Amino acid sequence: MKDTELFDWLTREALQEDIARLAQHTVATEITNLEESYVCDNPQEEFNWQELLLAGSLLARSGEREHQEAALRIATAAITLDTAQDVRDAGAILLEKLSNHRSVELAQKRNRIAPNLDGRLGVSMRLEANRRRFEDSILLESSGEWISVNDFQRALWKGASSGASWLSASAPTASGKTFMVLQWLLDHLRTSETRVAVYLAPTRALVSEIELNLKELCPSGAGIEISSLPLTEVYASAATRGSKAVFVFTQERLHLLANLLGENLKVDLLVVDEAHKIGDNQRGVILQDAIERVSRENPAMQVVFVSPSTQNPGELLEDAPEGATKSSVDSDMPTVLQNVILAEQAPRKPKDWNLDLVRGDSVIRLGTLKLANKPAGLKKRLAFIAAAAGGRGGTLVYCNGAAEAEDVALLISQLESSPKIDDQELLDLADLARKGVHRNYQLAPLVERGVAFHYGNMPSLIRTEIERLFRIGKIRFLACTSTLIEGVNLSCRTIVVRGPRKGKGHPMEPHDFWNLAGRAGRWGNEFQGNIICIDPHDEKAWPIGVPKRSRYPIKRETDAVLASPDDLATYLESRNVETLRELQQGEEFEQVGAYLLNTYIRLGSLSKAAFAKRHSEETIRKLDKSLESISGLISITNEVLVRHPGVSAVGLQRLLEVFREYEGNVENLLLAPSESVDAYDRYVTVMQRINENLYPVFLPDGLIPLHSLIVVEWLRGLSLSTIIRRRIEYHRRNDRPFRLPVLIRDTMSIVEETARFKAPKYISAYVDVLRLFLAEIGRDDLIDEDFDIGIALEFGVSSTTLLSLMELGLSRMSAVALYEKIARDDLDRGGCLSWISEHAPNFAGMDLPNLIVRETLEVTGISGFDDESQISD
Amino acid sequence: MPAKPIKIGSLAFKKKGDANEFFKSMLYKYDLGDKVSADDAKHLTVLVVMHPEADEKIGVGIESFSVRTADYGTRCFWINRTDGTTEKFSFKSCY
Repeated sequence: MKDTELFDWLTREALQEDIARLAQHTVATEITNLEESYVCDNPQEEFNWQELLLAGSLLARSGEREHQEAALRIATAAITLDTAQDVRDAGAILLEKLSNHRSVELAQKRNRIAPNLDGRLGVSMRLEANRRRFEDSILLESSGEWISVNDFQRALWKGASSGASWLSASAPTASGKTFMVLQWLLDHLRTSETRVAVYLAPTRALVSEIELNLKELCPSGAGIEISSLPLTEVYASAATRGSKAVFVFTQERLHLLANLLGENLKVDLLVVDEAHKIGDNQRGVILQDAIERVSRENPAMQVVFVSPSTQNPGELLEDAPEGATKSSVDSDMPTVLQNVILAEQAPRKPKDWNLDLVRGDSVIRLGTLKLANKPAGLKKRLAFIAAAAGGRGGTLVYCNGAAEAEDVALLISQLESSPKIDDQELLDLADLARKGVHRNYQLAPLVERGVAFHYGNMPSLIRTEIERLFRIGKIRFLACTSTLIEGVNLSCRTIVVRGPRKGKGHPMEPHDFWNLAGRAGRWGNEFQGNIICIDPHDEKAWPIGVPKRSRYPIKRETDAVLASPDDLATYLESRNVETLRELQQGEEFEQVGAYLLNTYIRLGSLSKAAFAKRHSEETIRKLDKSLESISGLISITNEVLVRHPGVSAVGLQRLLEVFREYEGNVENLLLAPSESVDAYDRYVTVMQRINENLYPVFLPDGLIPLHSLIVVEWLRGLSLSTIIRRRIEYHRRNDRPFRLPVLIRDTMSIVEETARFKAPKYISAYVDVLRLFLAEIGRDDLIDEDFDIGIALEFGVSSTTLLSLMELGLSRMSAVALYEKIARDDLDRGGCLSWISEHAPNFAGMDLPNLIVRETLEVTGISGFDDESQISD
Repeated sequence: MPAKPIKIGSLAFKKKGDANEFFKSMLYKYDLGDKVSADDAKHLTVLVVMHPEADEKIGVGIESFSVRTADYGTRCFWINRTDGTTEKFSFKSCY
């Protein structure tokens, strides 16, 4: 019998029933308010542990996920159930065999195994345990410290340190990817010649999280500066052998830094986190462009891609420069058990829900979940089941949209499982929600009961605090949206989900669902994670049923679009239509079209591009032909094209023509500074000009005034709460009815999506073309070199003081709150630090929210109080 | 009642409606936020003096004119004063 046959026989035949009963029993202990269908009073007696553990230690040798899962199930059951000490010890050894040291530490912390495990082992076992621990450790060269790792982490470390210049690593969520990459990144920076590293993450939320993690691992003053702002002086200092630098950026911010530095930007090491996002609509191509841009400037740059559970991590290495050595690390091994549980109402009993554990193609009945109230309507169903089953806390409820998340959280907060809690940290968060957003913002009363909601457009200071309090268990229920799968590292104990959609209305693909499900189970904090799927047989909720486990296929956005070359060619050829309104259908082609046109202009033919090898000669020829005629019309300089990825050269050219034909005073084409009385009007006109000539971005036209107003207020450095308050006043003044929660969410979304995304992208392109034109007509005197509108909009600042505060690492919310108290608008970083030092003792009297005070003191390292209790006054 | 002719500096209109048309088309040929051209500014300078509250509107003196929004949605002429302050006025109130 071959090994694999033995493993298959063990899991599928010999021990199938035992493992099923173990699963049934271990999972049931996770769920509250469950009337168990299988009651096991004495697990020590009911199972043949010797046989199970022996089988487990055999299965641990397998490379198959199914077998490893079975071994993990046996080990987890041995440790967590009511078993004898020798069984638990053996469970811990089995976990070590699985290189799962973190779970052993958890078992010790929870007193599931007695201290001094080694002392209870025989000599040979002890030797083996030591050998394994040695093998499962890596040495941080910079500090001489050993850290214990799992198989994937070790492979990742070895791969990254092997000298391979392009590496792609993939493993399931909860494999400790980010932790390992950050450790390696810092160790590498400290011990190698690498001076400038860039860490790319797809969302601002993840950027701030990674920045924070790095700063914790590497305190300031250690010779490595960490920044999420495109600061040229930080780069200059690293490049000229001062300190070293890690920039944590979104792809857009990397372009901002590259725009500031031009050809001078030389990145030694690039880490791309959530690298499968290269396939994202709209922003995937911006990521690809960013990678190619820095790789062109330094072909010797080392690149590390990290992605969660992907089928083909090697795909990302395809376009490495010639001569680069490539390596990929692929793991599919589980670190925590993930239980998929189906919830269906018992016939005639709306308060009784049958829970079944999915096991392969069949299910095991766990029991009946008892709800306290009748769940009328889908939101109540979601809320009540979550509240009943997830009573142990760490419960995420997946909602389709921000409005639903708010409603579901409100329902959960009214149930008995969510009493009002008198906790200072929760009160501080509630206070910040009231002061930072609006006094009636629904979040505030909810967090006082340990319940919260979470979505992408929330201010980051509030969102990260929600995540932190959820991690440490003070927030017990969190209603979240697809923001969570778009790149927030938040894991949980239980996820409750019904008919999940991604973004606005698209049913989730299996790999997206599994990316979400992968969040259940906090490695090192829990032994298991649970995914409760409600109404699994409802076709509206689950068009293809509850998806089977699936890994993400990496496919670049460009390659996906190039798969339909005829439609793309047609789009490109008709890009220069009279009225751009007709283009609205072409969103999927616009970004990639812009990328292809720029590539063509740079290389003279797409056949010379790295991606050409993945497409037929005919496709490339066809596109070359279309691009040849289009590129003949373009006189915009290559330098400007490179600065604006995703913005069509055809649109830029057309804008230039409009400027050339403009008959009025050219000064009317300029933007006004945000403080200027005519700023709002100028932005209205510029947005209209962009819609008509560059690309229809700010839609519908009727909303341009609102978008302009918020963009100008954002630039002026107004706080979100002020922007919201002014909108409410406007509605009241004009007798316009409004619904507060909608207005709040809508304002947040305009800030995030228009002011911080579309406006910087397109308005900075407008300004660059205008500069070309002004230079052309000899009116360089009108160009303001000092002011970068892209940066001002991304960060929502227009004064030096405000920017300096953010450069210190403060969130915009804190920076704005402090700036309201600071008189001078021209303080540099040092000036801001002095101001904070001087005034910190009086912060309590300034009515600043505690969380803002805390962030300010933490970031600056200044201590504000002699007596800590003042904070809570 | 016969239409009353209106004279504004060098401009002469047969009736009030004609003057309205003239200034309205001037107002709408600009984009929001634009400064008014020197030629148009000459006419507006004469016009604003005829405003019943001319002194308050003009204040320390006129630097230029702009076309901007009044309350969101409507547009009107604004005086940019030499001290940087700004004031809107309705051309229809001037005659």
